[in-house]
Amino acid sequence: MSDADADAPPPTSAARGTDPAAGQITDHVTCLGCGCGCDDISVVVRAGKITEARNACRIGAQWFGDGVVPNRVRVGGQDATIERAIEAAADTIGKADGVLVYVADDVSCEAQRAAIAIADMLHGTVDSATSSTAAGGILAAQRRGRAAATLGEIRNRADVILFWGVDLADRYPRFTKRYAPDPEGLFVPQGRIGRAVIVVDVGAENGPSDADFRIRVSANEEVAAQALTRAAILGRAAPNAAPDSLDARTAALASKLMAGKYVALITDGEPVAGRDPSRAEGMLAIAESLNASTRCALITLRAGGNRVGVDAVLTWQTGYPMAVDFARGYPRYVPRSEATADRIADRKVSAALVVGSSKSVPDAVREYLADVRCVVVGPHASESTLQTAVAIDTGVAGIHEGGMAFRTDDIPLRLRPALSGARSARETLLALAATLAGRPSGPA
Amino acid sequence: MTSLRIAGGTIYDPANGIDGAVGDICIRDGTIVADLPADAPRVDAAGMVVMAGAIDIHAHVAASSVNQARRLLPEQHAADPFAAPRLTSVVANGGTGDVVIPRSGTGGTVPSTFTTGYRYAGLGYTTVFDAAVAPISARDTHAQFDDTPIVDTGCFVLMGNDAYLLKQIAAGEKERARQYVAWLLGATKGYSVKIVNPGGVELWKENVREVRSLDDAVGDPKVTPRAILETLTEAANELNLPHPVHIHCNNLGQAGNVATTLESMRTTAGRRAHFTHLQFHAYAGERGKTWSSGAKQITEYLAQHPETSGDVGQVMFGQACTLTADGAVEYMLHKSGGGRWVNVDIELETGCGIVPYTYRDKAAVAALQWVVGLELFLLSPDPWRLVLSTDHPNGGTFLSYPRLIHLLMDRAFRDEQLKAINQKMIAGSALADGLAREYTLQEIAIITRAGPARLLGLSNKGHLGPGADADVTVYTRDDDRTRMFETPRYVVKAGTLVVEEGQLRRAPAGARHSVRPEYDRAVERDIKTYMDRYLTVAFENYPA
Repeated sequence: MSDADADAPPPTSAARGTDPAAGQITDHVTCLGCGCGCDDISVVVRAGKITEARNACRIGAQWFGDGVVPNRVRVGGQDATIERAIEAAADTIGKADGVLVYVADDVSCEAQRAAIAIADMLHGTVDSATSSTAAGGILAAQRRGRAAATLGEIRNRADVILFWGVDLADRYPRFTKRYAPDPEGLFVPQGRIGRAVIVVDVGAENGPSDADFRIRVSANEEVAAQALTRAAILGRAAPNAAPDSLDARTAALASKLMAGKYVALITDGEPVAGRDPSRAEGMLAIAESLNASTRCALITLRAGGNRVGVDAVLTWQTGYPMAVDFARGYPRYVPRSEATADRIADRKVSAALVVGSSKSVPDAVREYLADVRCVVVGPHASESTLQTAVAIDTGVAGIHEGGMAFRTDDIPLRLRPALSGARSARETLLALAATLAGRPSGPA
Repeated sequence: MTSLRIAGGTIYDPANGIDGAVGDICIRDGTIVADLPADAPRVDAAGMVVMAGAIDIHAHVAASSVNQARRLLPEQHAADPFAAPRLTSVVANGGTGDVVIPRSGTGGTVPSTFTTGYRYAGLGYTTVFDAAVAPISARDTHAQFDDTPIVDTGCFVLMGNDAYLLKQIAAGEKERARQYVAWLLGATKGYSVKIVNPGGVELWKENVREVRSLDDAVGDPKVTPRAILETLTEAANELNLPHPVHIHCNNLGQAGNVATTLESMRTTAGRRAHFTHLQFHAYAGERGKTWSSGAKQITEYLAQHPETSGDVGQVMFGQACTLTADGAVEYMLHKSGGGRWVNVDIELETGCGIVPYTYRDKAAVAALQWVVGLELFLLSPDPWRLVLSTDHPNGGTFLSYPRLIHLLMDRAFRDEQLKAINQKMIAGSALADGLAREYTLQEIAIITRAGPARLLGLSNKGHLGPGADADVTVYTRDDDRTRMFETPRYVVKAGTLVVEEGQLRRAPAGARHSVRPEYDRAVERDIKTYMDRYLTVAFENYPA
C-alpha cells in the first residue's frame, strides 16, 4: 500500500484536552450521516462514549450516536475466536456455488476495495444499495451524460438555485447552511440575498419554504413538467398556454432559470418511493439544455454511509458503478431498474458476504437473502437479523475506522475516527481475502 | 532479492550512447549493476531488442475525471472484458495490501485500474504519469493508483484556474503564489504543476466560452492567461521541480490556434516548460473558416529553444474518449457531434469535461489531426524534447502506441494510410508532400524512454546504466513494428520479471513519484483562512 493509505492525522487535529470531565475532543471529523459529508464535526468522547457531535445535524447526531458498538465474533450462533471465524467465513463463501458480496453502508473505500477483491476471486456477484435506490439516475447518466459540479462550486458561484422535489430539512438538513443558498461565496459575496431560490414542490416533497419563486406539480405531473420546462428552455414553449396550466407554470420556471448566470439544480438521487424513475433523466436533460445559453450544474443528492464510495470503487476496479457479476471470470454489468432491484442476480446464490451495517440492507434484498447463508462483517453484525452463519463485529467507518469515503458529489473525504478499539472492517476483510487466496483448491 | 542477467540482446540505450550494441544487462535487487556472477539466473535475449522500460509522460489513468469517464462507458467495457491473469507468483497488490489477488477488469478506451496496469506492463511500459489531477480529488487519484499494479505512477496537479492562485496574481503576490504551489504539491503528493487552458476553465464557469488572446482578463484585469503562465512557470522553475510545468494551452482544437501556442511558448521562453499534446494546438488557418497544419511552426520554435519541450498527443483512427479539465472544449465537441457529454465544475480549482469520440479517417478534421501529429514527429528537431503520447485516451488509447511506432518507423506503411484518408485539408501539408524520415530503434528508445525520463527528471529511469532502476523491456525483432511493440518477450519491473515469454506472470506494486518542495509555513495561515471561508473540505483534511 502506498503512503496515501497511512492516515496519520495532521498536526492541527485531534485531542485538545485530556481532562476526563471535559472529555476528549476530535475536530474536523467527517460525518457520513447523509451524503453531504460535512467535515467540521467536533466529536466529544467521555469514558469511551460519544457524548456530543458538535455542528452535527439531527441525522448526523443519530449517525454518531454514542459510538458504542458490540465487539463479538459468532460462528453458528456461538462465540468464537476471530481466527476460527475467518476460517468459517472462508468455508461458507469459498465453497459456495454462487456468492453474493453485498456492500452495505458504513465501511471505508479501503474495506470496499477488499470486499470487491473477494467477489472477483470467488467469481461472485457484487451489489450495493445503489441498485435499489439510485439505479435510475446512474443508468440515465450513462445514456446521456450529465452536467454537474461539486458542492463547493455551487456555494461559491450559483446565483440561481432550483430545488426540485427535495425535502432538504428532512433529508439533508445542513445543505442550505453549508453549501447553498445561505453561505457567502467567492462570487456570491452576499450569500442568500445574492441568490434567487426557486422551488418545485413535487407531490408531498416540499423544498425550502423561503423560495423567491415556486411552482407545485403533482407526482403524476413530474415528468411532464420536466419535458415542458426543457421545451421552454429550448424556445419551444407551447403558445397561448392557459394561466396556471402546467405549460404556463413551467414556462415561467424556465425563464427564471435562464435568467441565472450559474444555475444549480438540486435534486434527490435517492427519493422516497413512489416518484417516477424517469425523473432522473428529465433533470439531466434540463441541465444539459440550460448550458446552451448559460451555465448550469445538476447536483444529485445521495444518502450517507459512503454509499457513493462503493460506486466509485466498483467503477475503478471493474468499469461499472453497481451490480457487477464476475461469474464468467470478468466483470459483467447486470443493472436492474429500481422496480426489479430485489432480483439480485440471474443465477442462484447459495452464500453471501454482507459487508457493512446489515441494518442498511434494503428490505427487498433482505427478502432475497432470507434463505441464504450469510457471513456478515460490519458494525452490529452480531445483531443482524440475516441468516448469519458467521458474524464479525467491526467499527463504523468514520467513527472507529479511518480511511477514505466519498461525498455525494464524488469528492473524496478523509475519515477521522474519534474512537478506537473496535475491530477494523478493512483488516478483517483482508484477512478473509488472504485466507481464501491461500487455500490450495482456491477459487473457481 | 533476486539477480537476473538478460544475456546477449541488442541494446538500445541512448542515454548512455549505446545504439544497437550486443551485450548483457545485469540486475540485482531491483537495480541495474555492472556485472553478476556467471551462474546468476539468466534469460537469453540473443537476437532480441533490449530497451529500458517505457515511460508515459502524459496519460489519464487515475483521476476523478477518469473514473467519471469509466462510469460513462459500460458498453465499451462490455465489449472488452479482461479475465484475471494467471500469475505464477503473487507478490503484491490485488487491491488488498499484502495479499495478491490477480484481478479481472474491463478495457475499452478507459480501462479499469488493474487492467490498466497489466496492459501497460504488457506493452513494456513501466512508468505512467496521470496528467490532470484536481487538487481536492488527489486522495481519489492515489487510491486508484494503489489499484493500478506494476507501473510506477505520479501525477500533475491542476493549478491554472485555481481561485487562490488567481487571487495572488491579482494582488501581485508572486512570492505567495510560489509558496502556494509548493504547499499544494506537497499536500496532494503531486509531481508537477499542470496548467490546462490557463484562465479559460474559470471563464467557462462564468459562461465565457472563448479565450481570444493571452491578455484576456480573467475577472481581474491583472489576471490573464499570460500572467498565469508566467507565474506558474516561474514558480515551478524557482522550486527546481524535476519536471517544471506541464502546459495545455488555450484554444485546444481550434483552427488557427498555433498562434496561441507559439505566443504561450514565447511567454515561457528562457525557462523550462513542457507543452503537452501539441498536435491539438498546432493548427494554422482561421477559426470557423480554414484549417491546415501548423506543425512546422512548432518544430521551428522548438529548434530554437532548448528549454522548451513537448509531447505530441497523436490522434489514432478509431475509438477514443476525450476527457480533460478543459470543460469548454468538451461542450463544443458535444455540440458538434451530438454525443454524450459530461461536465463537472470542480470547486474553485478546475473543471472536467468528457465526450466519447471516434476519429474517422474519412473525416477531414480527424485526417488533418493525424497528419499534424505525424508531422510534429517527423519534423522534430530533437527527439529528446518532443516525445511520444496520444494523450491517452484523448487521441487514442495507449494500446495504439505500437501502431504509432510503426507509422514512425515505416514510411511505406505510413504512406499507404496517408493515401486512404480524407484529403480535403491536407493538400500542401509537409506529410502529403512526402516526408521520408523513418525513426530508428534508437530514436524510438528516445521518444518512449530516455526522453521522457530526462524531461521528468527521473535520473534512474529511461536508461540501462549501472544504478538505474531495473525496468527493462525485451522485444522480439520483427519488421512488423506493430506486432513487435505489442508483444514484448520479457518485461522486467524493478528487478521482477513481470512478462515472460510474452505472458504476464507477476504483478508487483509500482512506486509512487511525488515531490515535497520546501515552503514557508507562514503561508499556511493565509491558505487556511481562504479555505475556511470558501472551500467545503477543511484545511486540516485537505486533501491526500
